[in-house]
Amino acid sequence: MVHVYNCHPFASQQIVQVEQEPGLFCCGGGALFVVATGGCKVDAYNLEQEGCPLICRFGTMGTVKSIQHSKIGDYLVTIEEKNSSTYLRAYTNWRYQAEEKARVGVRLLGHLLRGASVRGGAQMEIIEIPLSERPIAVACCSVTGDLLVGCENTLILFTLRRQNQQSLQNQCQQNLQGSWSNSQQSASQSQGHQSSSSHNLSVLDFERSVILHITKMTPKQVALCGGYLAVQAELEVLVLKLDASSEPTSLDESSDTSKDDYLEDQADLLLIPRQQELLGDQARNCDISVTIEKTGLEDKGQYTLSYVLFRRFTPEFFQGCSVEETQLHSLQLYPLFTSNQSVSTEEPACLFCFFSLPNAGYLYSLKSGVELLSAYQYPERVQEAVLSDHLLHVITKNALQCFTVRCAAVAARTEDPYIDTTMKACPPNSLQVCALRMQLFIGLRSVCVYGRHVVLLSTVDTEPREEAERSTQRRSLGRRWTISSPKETSPAGNGWNLYVVDTVSPLTLYKEMVEYSRQYAETNPQAQSLQHLLSEAHLLLRAALLQTPGQQQNDDGTSSLQEDAYRQDEGQTAVQTHRQQLEEALRQNCAQLGDCFSRASQKVCHLALPYYRMSGLSVTEVIVRNRPLPSSPHSYGLGFLFYLKHYLLEETEQKLSQESADEVIDIFSRSSPSELLSVCASPSMINVSPARTLRILQHLEDTAGVSVPLTIAMATMVQRLNDLPQYTQLMERHAEMLLVYGFIEEPRLLLHGGGGAPRTHVHPTALSRQLAKSQPGLLVAGMVALHENNKVQLEQADHIFKELGCENCLQVDFWEAMLMASSQETVIQELLFRLASVYIDRLVGTNSESGSSFPCTSQRRRSLKSTDDLINSCSHYGALYPWLIVLCPAHTTSCQHQEELYKLQSLLCGPSLSIGSVQPLLERLSEGTLWGFSLHLLCTTRRGQYDISIEKLLDRCPQAIIAYANHHLQDKNMGLWWQKLLPELCDRTRAAGENSILLAALKETLVVVATETSPAQFLELIPDDGTASYFLPHLLTCTQRHLLA
Amino acid sequence: MTTKTSLLKVILLGDGGVGKSSIMNRYVTNKFDAHLFHTIGVEFLNKDLEVDGHQVTLQIWDTAGQERFRSLRTPFYRGSDCCLLTFSVDDNQSFLNLGNWKKEFIYYADVKEPEKFPFVILGNKLDVTERQVSIEEVQQWCQENGNYPYYETSAKDATNVAVAFEEAVRRVLAMDERTDHLIPTDTVKLHRKPRSAGTCCS
Repeated sequence: MVHVYNCHPFASQQIVQVEQEPGLFCCGGGALFVVATGGCKVDAYNLEQEGCPLICRFGTMGTVKSIQHSKIGDYLVTIEEKNSSTYLRAYTNWRYQAEEKARVGVRLLGHLLRGASVRGGAQMEIIEIPLSERPIAVACCSVTGDLLVGCENTLILFTLRRQNQQSLQNQCQQNLQGSWSNSQQSASQSQGHQSSSSHNLSVLDFERSVILHITKMTPKQVALCGGYLAVQAELEVLVLKLDASSEPTSLDESSDTSKDDYLEDQADLLLIPRQQELLGDQARNCDISVTIEKTGLEDKGQYTLSYVLFRRFTPEFFQGCSVEETQLHSLQLYPLFTSNQSVSTEEPACLFCFFSLPNAGYLYSLKSGVELLSAYQYPERVQEAVLSDHLLHVITKNALQCFTVRCAAVAARTEDPYIDTTMKACPPNSLQVCALRMQLFIGLRSVCVYGRHVVLLSTVDTEPREEAERSTQRRSLGRRWTISSPKETSPAGNGWNLYVVDTVSPLTLYKEMVEYSRQYAETNPQAQSLQHLLSEAHLLLRAALLQTPGQQQNDDGTSSLQEDAYRQDEGQTAVQTHRQQLEEALRQNCAQLGDCFSRASQKVCHLALPYYRMSGLSVTEVIVRNRPLPSSPHSYGLGFLFYLKHYLLEETEQKLSQESADEVIDIFSRSSPSELLSVCASPSMINVSPARTLRILQHLEDTAGVSVPLTIAMATMVQRLNDLPQYTQLMERHAEMLLVYGFIEEPRLLLHGGGGAPRTHVHPTALSRQLAKSQPGLLVAGMVALHENNKVQLEQADHIFKELGCENCLQVDFWEAMLMASSQETVIQELLFRLASVYIDRLVGTNSESGSSFPCTSQRRRSLKSTDDLINSCSHYGALYPWLIVLCPAHTTSCQHQEELYKLQSLLCGPSLSIGSVQPLLERLSEGTLWGFSLHLLCTTRRGQYDISIEKLLDRCPQAIIAYANHHLQDKNMGLWWQKLLPELCDRTRAAGENSILLAALKETLVVVATETSPAQFLELIPDDGTASYFLPHLLTCTQRHLLA
Repeated sequence: MTTKTSLLKVILLGDGGVGKSSIMNRYVTNKFDAHLFHTIGVEFLNKDLEVDGHQVTLQIWDTAGQERFRSLRTPFYRGSDCCLLTFSVDDNQSFLNLGNWKKEFIYYADVKEPEKFPFVILGNKLDVTERQVSIEEVQQWCQENGNYPYYETSAKDATNVAVAFEEAVRRVLAMDERTDHLIPTDTVKLHRKPRSAGTCCS
């Protein structure tokens, strides 16, 4: 089914004052070129001025059989006949033929010599392009100005060459031969892109670059665009891509082999060709082979060929159309540049191929995957079709019809691959196309399009008069159909007319569609038609926006000098304003699409979100738009709730006013009470009225039952009401552990902004602040739980504590608690280091006189976890070594830093802390005090430097040496007893004399050594000057033990 | 009301400086410029006229007479309906070269029946007092070569210019009438690039 909206895309019509019956015509460069039937003259009319005045008239060299205009280079190319010969010619500088009696230069392709044509500076020139075969069809590339010629069995590509007058004259003077330098050439080429009407006239020529031989297909029409070639025969279309490359072409061989099987297969089944659609690489399986012939003119470039699309139709009978009439027509390659492309330098991001049968048209997208974009089912036999920037225009015998196209949807997706997300949206490429208008005309023959001008040729000689009158009447009923002078039928009473029908601007058409959509919205807002119409309007605006200022300039680049100057002066601001208008319209349209989808079905309602987002409307505005009428029975749409929920989940900075927030609460309590809790927790809802919300939450609890997060949410409201007793009562309803689960379920009760994503700013909630004061343990437990459940990052949690102003107290508690809970190695190492630094800081701080290095000092309270708690519950905190207690008993240190000292010692005794990383920090602590010494000794020990440790310990605190040795000198270090400790003790006792501590230690050591060594070894160890009686008992023990073993 | 106009291609050949461009300008724009540039390559002008009730568009092709422009002009002989061989009455050499011009034309225009092709001979610069070529000489040459009509013209004084072109048109139309009742049997002529054309731009 084809939608037909009775819009008014056509604004006005003019009749071109043509003297003789037009045979052929074409448009380009702001001009309409008309060739009288069988004539040898071209009349050029200005399409951009009221009344389409004649620009100039010039003679051709033969009877024109086909005519095309190239935007790039502003030249015309014709196929002409004279004395039964067929010629291909290009007409350049035709604008200088303002007076018909000016001489016209003629030269052969490639014979751009000594400025033959530049003598007068501005002379029309004809380039004769010799061909070995009769040309059948020509096409110009709208991007490069290159020329493609289709002959019986070949396609020939001519590259456009430009040379500006300056360089040509230089060349002339110096009598230089050969071709000009590449740099000059490219410079002039790019200049030509900017504006061909610049004063620095460039001279055109063509270079035969590629010849393609094509079998089993006789071209009827050809098309060319940016390296893509399309050929259309009676019932076949083939699209090829030609790439310049340095690699030799190998495609032909490979395609031949792959083709063979396929062909055999087909030959068995069918004698007549069957319907075929081969996309992309598949197209090489068609039975048409294409080979490249090297022209030999340019050996710098090789070309490779790839198949892009093949479509074959069978001549089926349809709608009163005979088999003979069923032929393809209107082949077109249509490029589209996205707005982030610069037109002159890049190849178009999107390319489309259109062709048509009498009953159906086909539009393919060729880039980023070849696909059929739309198929157009015509209501009646179509004679010609042409794709314009916004619409597809087709003519039947008695009507000009215009259809919508999906090119802008493809371009939008090419431009922005993230378009189909919750942030952005665009109607789908597959959105069904529709007809916007069927405008009656009489006896239409052919059509062409330039920008917003549709040119039509009608001949009425075969039509009965009555019918003509009737259709005239009908036409005058059209609302906006204004007929401009001159009168419709020219005074001479011609049987033919050449009309220029102007289409309205996309913005105007958009407004009309919006007007229509209002009617739909009033009658049936759920209707598909409303959605479809708004989507059509959306794509129309997108298409208009794609016609960026740069592109528009390029489009009109070939128009007169006068207009050029005008454009430079005023055009820029006008273009800017126009763009702003379009963007504003697009926002409005998005808002309407948002409205539309907010009431849509489950399947598509999620689209409300991206469209509302693109509309730039605030939540409050969206809420207002979705407010049901008091009388209306229906509630809020699914899409609207989806939008609202997403918005509230997304932690935007935008805070709703109390009024809006209360309304949101109402909306959810009415439509989706289960979401209420997460709605309440949203940072956008911060201004919600607490008393009112509390009542609603209480009601929810009454109906849905008690849940922990709900209780916390209620507590939050109560707390905002400053009702501390009720707050406490609510918080005490659940065990602390359950409350923690509650926070995991709804993290936003504690913090706003995180959402688990790294590197986003988070803030504590009012509840967090309250907890920091009243239940710090719960806050820390909650934060640890959130971290362990990936709801918050470590840095974010740090930030929270910083904001709460408890950097040095609760935050440290949090780190300690994290160490107990976390199993992530990197986090653990980070925390160990942080904690070690904090402990050291504190120790240094209390040690020094200033003592003000922690901000929390004044309000310091005890840590949540004592050293014992940590040692008992956290594997990273080790039990204190026994010798530490001997070294620095509790009473020797001030109670102020006792806890930190123990924790640091415990960390150093634990298995996880990396000594290397904390060593530099320890430098800050003096070894002067015993506790300071203990820390350094722990480090040395942990590094395995027992020799040094033993020496130091004997120096500072020999009474701890045996405890130390017992703890550390074991297993592989056992040898140190007799290798280090024993000699050390012997030396020291000898030096110190009667030192009971040392002697006791020596005695203990000998006991160990005697146990661990053989009698022979033991004998060796006894110092030569030692008293035998002192060592003898130990030797005895040693020997006895040895004997037993 | 739309009568089909026929396009006739008439080509002016002859030595450089005999006044081909001046003849064309005189005929089409009715102006004369004593200091015209050399023609480089090929140029043409159209003129609509009625001859004996026939509406025709005369496409007059002006060529460069200098030898060095040979390769630029010869590709465009093809398709001519009439050839105006021009010399200057004050330059005997230009008269003697007529035969070469005729040969060049017949060769490059690929004329099927050269003896039937309509040539018209123009002796220009009638206004100059020192003549080098006598009428008799020319008439004899015309007689011997195929009974060509001969006109003595002066582009400067506008003598005989229009008459000569009208005669050319008449000759062509007479040819057409003879061939009109013949069944057109010849197939499409392929327009081949002459061999010399490829190397001429140096």
